[in-house]
Amino acid sequence: MLLGRLITPARGSRRRKPSPQRLLYSSSALLSLSVLGDSGLEHYRGLYRNRAMYVAPTIAAAGLAGAAAGLTGRSGRLPAVAFRSAVVTGLAGVGFHAWNLMKKPGRLRWDRLFYGAPAGAPAALALAGVFGLMAAGRGFPRSRPPPGEAVALVTAIGLGGNIAEVALLHFRGSYQNRFMYLPIAIPGLAAAGLLAEAAWPGKLDGALASLLGATAVLGPLGMVFHSYGVSRNMGGWANFSQNVLSGPPLAAPPSFSGLALAGFAALALRNEEL
Amino acid sequence: MPDRPRARDGQAPDVFRRGGWVPMRMFRDDEAVDFLIVGTGAGGGTLACALAERGFSVVALDAGPFWRPLEDFASDETEQAKLYWRDERISGGEDPISFGSNNSGKAVGGSTVHFQMVSLRFRPEWLKARSLLGYARDWPIAWPEIEPYYEQVEEALKISGPVDFPWGPPRKRYPYRPHPVNAAGLVLARGAEALGISWAPTPLATVSAPRGMAHPCVYRGFCKFGCSTNAKQSALTVWIPRAIQAGAEIRDLAMAGRVEIGGDGLVTGVVYHREGEWRRQRARNVVVAGYSVETPRLLLNSACPAFPDGLANSSGMVGKYLMTHANHAVWGTMDEEIRWNKGPPSLALTEHWNYADDGKDFDGGYAIMSQGPMPAEWANSVAVKHGVWGIALRNRMMLYNRMAGLKIVGETLPQESNRVELAEEEDEYGLPIAKVTYGNCDNDKRLAAHSIRFMTDMMHAAGARDSWSEGGTAHLMGGCRMGDDERDSVTDSDGRTWDIPNLWICDGSLFPTAGGVNPSLTIQALALRIGDRMAALAARGELAGRRGRPSVTGR
Repeated sequence: MLLGRLITPARGSRRRKPSPQRLLYSSSALLSLSVLGDSGLEHYRGLYRNRAMYVAPTIAAAGLAGAAAGLTGRSGRLPAVAFRSAVVTGLAGVGFHAWNLMKKPGRLRWDRLFYGAPAGAPAALALAGVFGLMAAGRGFPRSRPPPGEAVALVTAIGLGGNIAEVALLHFRGSYQNRFMYLPIAIPGLAAAGLLAEAAWPGKLDGALASLLGATAVLGPLGMVFHSYGVSRNMGGWANFSQNVLSGPPLAAPPSFSGLALAGFAALALRNEEL
Repeated sequence: MPDRPRARDGQAPDVFRRGGWVPMRMFRDDEAVDFLIVGTGAGGGTLACALAERGFSVVALDAGPFWRPLEDFASDETEQAKLYWRDERISGGEDPISFGSNNSGKAVGGSTVHFQMVSLRFRPEWLKARSLLGYARDWPIAWPEIEPYYEQVEEALKISGPVDFPWGPPRKRYPYRPHPVNAAGLVLARGAEALGISWAPTPLATVSAPRGMAHPCVYRGFCKFGCSTNAKQSALTVWIPRAIQAGAEIRDLAMAGRVEIGGDGLVTGVVYHREGEWRRQRARNVVVAGYSVETPRLLLNSACPAFPDGLANSSGMVGKYLMTHANHAVWGTMDEEIRWNKGPPSLALTEHWNYADDGKDFDGGYAIMSQGPMPAEWANSVAVKHGVWGIALRNRMMLYNRMAGLKIVGETLPQESNRVELAEEEDEYGLPIAKVTYGNCDNDKRLAAHSIRFMTDMMHAAGARDSWSEGGTAHLMGGCRMGDDERDSVTDSDGRTWDIPNLWICDGSLFPTAGGVNPSLTIQALALRIGDRMAALAARGELAGRRGRPSVTGR
């Protein structure tokens, strides 16, 4: 509901679709929110042993504030600084997590990928920054909106990364529940659709919109499943202080909703261009 | 300790619910069941499930209680000694075996209730150790005959193991992913990397993801003292519930005293003690699954005019060729904090010396595993094995969180002189107790010395400041070995005794050789294979019932 109100302009035609800009800001906001929750909790689990572990949640909060400012029509230099910081932090985070993986003994093995710092996760923060910048029209000549295929491409890559992360971690969970395949199959098709959209604009509008819609639903649905996952740990929700940390990450699935919104933005931009 | 049986009146404890019950089929004592199984551990519990699911009528006896882990198991090492078989036994010989924690169990589920969950397959060549490796003895079964059953057991227990297992022939992926390796395991990893050998996260029978009513492992570390969360996949939590659901009756606190023989030389049932009285359960087939001491003891205690030396003992092999595993350890102090009690005790291992044949001055092999003894266990080891006492013991215990160590599961060679016999003394039931004689041969000693040298190098390569070693044993194998020749073995490859066609054995006592891995996975694979063989024989009408008539057909 809140999300819907944010994406849809407050005034004007009731039926009007949200603008690509609002969609991109919303995407950035959701991705930042997801990173804020996920890294905040996971780094807490790691006891913030390294001071640098505070950076990701802090910058994610700043990115969230920047996107909220954009959605409420307040643009300026500060949100852009937040988005750029998110891009830099996200990329640095990927490097940091990779370093964490490499310093364990021996060659890179499955067990290190399963239980080490997730190498791909920080990329979500970088994507939040990129979509924020795109929404603000920064980084493009004369502050124009970005071309639809660029957004489609970035979204498809983002989905690809997210799918890889989910595939790895659900593999770690042995796909013990059949529904664990859903966040691989649906976003996989959506990513393929986005790539096709970038190559042959307008050919599969309807199908792609449905796939992106289904991908967006994975966010709340995933949170429900992950809540159930928490309940299946020793002590269930009554032991939430341990099980929220050791169970499946509650804040991770909304990143799919964020990416789906960026996909919708790509579609809207193409429609404006065509 | 419960003083009266829980599995009675048509219900048995539900191991997954506090105070819960599940319905259980009951049989009358005078009703001849298809199979009466003595023992419900890795051998008997697994077989009870396999047979009941095929439609045979099954009663399984266990001398121990029927626990509900969620409510009966404490985070207390001393309290949990209730899981061990602590009845009187006489242990002698040059190297007497210490009985209790790591080689016995007295509970429904047997010693799997407190096993370390290490689930390793035999090296295929070990089944033909004499022919292929030139030592000890061949098993009467070959690798292709047991390999599918290993896979079935791994699937049934949802073994959590590495994606790439470095040793042995190509295999199907373990059903669940490996657990995270704790700091104690990473010490083994660093040592192995430094010495240039492979290591891997240990395949364990504790789940790394939810499985039905079982929660994923919470790394409490009390595995050896009974898992109170049910993450452990033991006979108690896997095979027994399935067996009961399929119609088997489990009788807890039921001590078997004698297998009875009819006039035709076939077994007719078992005399057992339950609720203060001796009772007699009739059966068409009896399977003895009491492990390497109690199985021979029951057969010897069942001597009768037709079989004066004990049942199935015309070869004289009942009780002979008992084996244990060398369980030598090297300990060291690390600079960094390890907290080795966190998680299952052996999260990393190397099977290098099980699969390497060069560079050895002994026959057989050994696996090295990382260690995580609990505080009382560790204090006991330091005080008893190394004589550290007083302020020195206190200071040593202050270093508990910085300790690390390695232990082997090392193959010992089968020797006829290592044996189980009956003593003159009797137990509370008036049954002669077991007398165990054990001594290491030169090869056993060379293997142990090799392992201590190698583990010392590993510990120092991993950064240990100091190191010291100790000896020890774990597990039991043999005592009623299977074979191809009825003159020097107790059973054939199906666990069927040569002398009495409706008397079977299904446990670790069947092992002709010990191998360098924990025996539970192999015992369970053997049990599933024996179940399949029994069903096949029944289908062909070759399962002898009373008076030699084929009378057991299953479903």
